[in-house]
Amino acid sequence: MGLDIRIPLGLIFLITGGIIGIYGFVTRNAPEIYEKSLGINLNLTWGALMFLFGLVMFVVGRRQKWQDDPVNPRPWEADSKSRPRH
Amino acid sequence: MNLSWIDWLIMLVYFVFVLGIGFALKRYMRTSNDFFLAGRSIPAWVCGLAFISANLGAQEVIGMGASGAKYGIITSHFYWIGAIPAMVFVGIFMMPFYYGSKARSVPEFLRLRFDEKTRAVNAFSFAIMTVFSSGISMYAMALLIQTLGLFHNIIPDQYIFHVSIVLSAVIVLGYIFLGGLTSAIYNEVLQFFLIVAGFAPLVWIGLRNVGGWQGIKQTLPATMTHSWRGMAHASTNSLGVEWVGLAMGLGFVLSFGYWCTDFLVIQRAMAADSEVSARRVPLIAAIPKMFFPFLVILPGLIAVSITSHMAGAGEGIGNTSSISSTATPGKNIPLSENHPHGIIPVKVDPISGKAIFNADGTPVYNYDLAIPVMLLRFFPTGILGLGLTALLASFMSGMAGNVTAFNTVWTYDIYQAYINKKGTDAHYLWMGRMATIGGIVLSIAAAYAAKNFNNIMDALQLIFSLVNAPLFATFLLGMFWKKTTGHGAFVGLISGTVGALIHHGLTLPADAVPGIHGAWITLVHTYPSDMAQNFWTAIFAFSINMVVTIAISLVTTPRPETELVGLVYSLTPKPVETHLTWYQRPATLAIAVLAMLLVLNLVFA
Repeated sequence: MGLDIRIPLGLIFLITGGIIGIYGFVTRNAPEIYEKSLGINLNLTWGALMFLFGLVMFVVGRRQKWQDDPVNPRPWEADSKSRPRH
Repeated sequence: MNLSWIDWLIMLVYFVFVLGIGFALKRYMRTSNDFFLAGRSIPAWVCGLAFISANLGAQEVIGMGASGAKYGIITSHFYWIGAIPAMVFVGIFMMPFYYGSKARSVPEFLRLRFDEKTRAVNAFSFAIMTVFSSGISMYAMALLIQTLGLFHNIIPDQYIFHVSIVLSAVIVLGYIFLGGLTSAIYNEVLQFFLIVAGFAPLVWIGLRNVGGWQGIKQTLPATMTHSWRGMAHASTNSLGVEWVGLAMGLGFVLSFGYWCTDFLVIQRAMAADSEVSARRVPLIAAIPKMFFPFLVILPGLIAVSITSHMAGAGEGIGNTSSISSTATPGKNIPLSENHPHGIIPVKVDPISGKAIFNADGTPVYNYDLAIPVMLLRFFPTGILGLGLTALLASFMSGMAGNVTAFNTVWTYDIYQAYINKKGTDAHYLWMGRMATIGGIVLSIAAAYAAKNFNNIMDALQLIFSLVNAPLFATFLLGMFWKKTTGHGAFVGLISGTVGALIHHGLTLPADAVPGIHGAWITLVHTYPSDMAQNFWTAIFAFSINMVVTIAISLVTTPRPETELVGLVYSLTPKPVETHLTWYQRPATLAIAVLAMLLVLNLVFA
């Protein structure tokens, strides 16, 4: 398929991690929010980690981008007899 | 429960992406092959993650969390012995036939190997089961949304269930209708990472709260923190099964029957870009699979470990300090009134809104809420949205997996085989889209059936186990014994199911009344638990199928060997692996997976 899954995967983590991280940064001085999570600002740390993961996926996906057009001929349309069975 | 805008925003982002992927892939859906088989062009790691994600539906996440809370780490047997060996087997030995035979579905493989009637049995039973499974997923999701009060104060309470059903149906329909199997696979990969991202911090923070694994060990009875302790006899472990039943019933018959023959998962591997990739798919899937107990079972254990001295445990605090370190021998299920229940809430009657009590006045706990209450307890606004997204993602991946398997089997194995043999490819592509709509509509009907008839879930579980249990014998003989005949396979399959039915009619789990749980013919044998009954039913079904198939095959004429090349092990050239270095070979990966499995079992023995 022409779309590399790492691009949407990277994007959703960039956006979600970004939202959570920024929210965590904004609320870093609001301890009442983090009473639930034992005083740990889960939003900031986990959001940042997700953002980082998204960035890696996105960059790798862009660099190893598959052909943006549908493959032609498709793997099953190629002459299967001439290829080794693997 | 009141969510803030940020939680809603995170869920919204997820839904936008889910549908966006469908739209982005729409232009690649040119032939039926693209739609049903993802053009056989997906890399192994993507298929591998989709392979486990498709299986990681509602029943998995909610059910495994509940079992973790009820039975303890012993539940991980469903992942370790109950999945990994079978996944290794399907990757190493069976995938060359599924992929190499060019069959487009598992029922079609049965037609190539045996005959039309064997295919028909499998195709019809499978199609019906996928629709019901997807309906149950839908029902479970709507029920959970209703219980958590997700839409409370946004839409009137009496409509929440219906809105949840319709919303989930529309979203799943949307992305499969547009992008077919590729869309489902891509979304399953997203769902996989979101489930990990949503549950990993939950486990981390939960473990911190209860003092780590050591803290859990100190709080809970030893039977709950060891996976192999007391397996020598059914009465000394919480599952009520002895190790023979566990290893043969779960580890062999049921798990191989599911992972090696169920088109829902096999379809993901068939979408891989080459045969060697297809063989790697289940092996790659096995690695995260074996660590999933830490994400879905551990929260259950943490939920019951949280005791009153930790702040704000709310209602349902158990006097856990009174529990002795070992469960009383002779009780097969340690769910006595002093079973720890930590923060597990009491079950509430959905109509009256009152707590449900046993006949002896003790409250009934709703273990299914183990993971949701953990999310609500530990996650602050923001990451809570992520946790709920992960939960919803797991429900949708389960549904989507069933729907894509259904549309393929319907189109190729029922419609093309029996209704319209001469359609153009474009027509079958159209039919696949229509089957997607049909499958979703039937799922909705199944979800409402599950809502309106309490017993339907038990009945379906029973039917699934009766139909699935004998299947593996048919595939095993078909692939590894060239003299197996179509008549043998057909009669064996039917006899296996009938045998399972009769076994079920003659036996009963302890503490159950005759009826849907068994012994509806007459009571011959009592099993210590329903799980033991289920495992032994499977063992009987498998054995009967095996014996009958062999017997009939011996008296009927096998197909000529030339027709069976590529379908039977002894007649198929071994896959060429000389172009792969030793660490790229599927066998190396398989050995690594099995070694990791062994280590995990030793650590948690």
